Amino acid sequence: MLRYSQLALVAILLCWVLSGCAIISRDVTRTEAYNRFAIKAAQAQLWNEAVFRWKQVISIDPEDSKAHNNLGVAYEALGNMGEAIAAYERAAELEPNNKYYRLNYRRCRIHLRRSGGDDENAPQLEEPPHLLDEDT
Amino acid sequence: MQIAKRIGILLGILTLCGCSSAVTRVSIPVKVQSEIDITRYSNFAVLPFVSEKQVERNEKLPPEVGEEIASILRRGLARQKHFEVVSSQETARMLTGETVGEDWLTDTKHLRQLGEYFEVKAVIIGSFRFYSDSRPRRYYGERYSVRRQRYISDYQDYMQKTYLLSLRVMIVDVETGQVVWDESYRRSTAEAHTIGSFIFSQVGPQANTIRELGRRAVSEFTRQISPHYESEDRYLVN
Repeated sequence: MLRYSQLALVAILLCWVLSGCAIISRDVTRTEAYNRFAIKAAQAQLWNEAVFRWKQVISIDPEDSKAHNNLGVAYEALGNMGEAIAAYERAAELEPNNKYYRLNYRRCRIHLRRSGGDDENAPQLEEPPHLLDEDT
Repeated sequence: MQIAKRIGILLGILTLCGCSSAVTRVSIPVKVQSEIDITRYSNFAVLPFVSEKQVERNEKLPPEVGEEIASILRRGLARQKHFEVVSSQETARMLTGETVGEDWLTDTKHLRQLGEYFEVKAVIIGSFRFYSDSRPRRYYGERYSVRRQRYISDYQDYMQKTYLLSLRVMIVDVETGQVVWDESYRRSTAEAHTIGSFIFSQVGPQANTIRELGRRAVSEFTRQISPHYESEDRYLVN
């Protein structure tokens, strides 16, 4: 009798874990699908659509560094430099060793410095600590 | 046993493929600001460009070439919404037959005076050098030899004539007399000639070549002083 109840408990636990995994994987596939769609929109220069999709990804998973980076690119393409910088910084904060996030961030900063560095509304260009070191 | 090993390797490769993140490169438009203060320098008078006389290799050109380059520049600037340019007719009328000489390039007092007549913020003036350089060249290639029944290496001699235009553009502030822009732009184009066509090119007119090179040099200058968009690469992570 005891054995049956133990088995039942394990089965319930297993079901619970598996259902949790299914929910997570469903979310992951959804975010991936959104991301893929947004990239296609970005390639077609439909930046507002891309922004909308990446925002959806972030609302599902606020720690998705890819979405933050891609959103930064979209904001930059739309000319929202302050938001672009913030998105790049968040991406680099979440995944500090990603060279592409750094590249995008650095290029955005260089462009900002060249074009509107002395603009009063331009965002402050202090280098955040997680982007201070090394290469690119 | 071997099958199991192969399946293992395959699974390993598939796992590694899944772990990698692909990157898509996209071009985004970035705004590039003017290299001059366009809020201050918004209207210009463009004076005819001067041919630099001390250069020995200078090609013989008709005197109106300087005015033609100035006209190209006027048209280029007039197309930009930030700038206003004094028309060619108005410029000719104000110059009242005066010929722009090389000494004008340094005479900022005179340029300021002219600028005041034109009622502009800045005067654009400049000079040009147009010369050619001819060198014999050898082109190596292959041709089919009927006698040997195969391809053999072969060469052909020709004359390469390179035309070079060096255009100096200056912007002089009418109020202060300061030179706010002084840049040189070099453009070149090459032609391949046989002996016959080379002789013809020596005596033939070169106005079209200089016009084309002038247009290219002027467009770079216009691009530098007017705000424009350039495309830059960014990386989207899949």
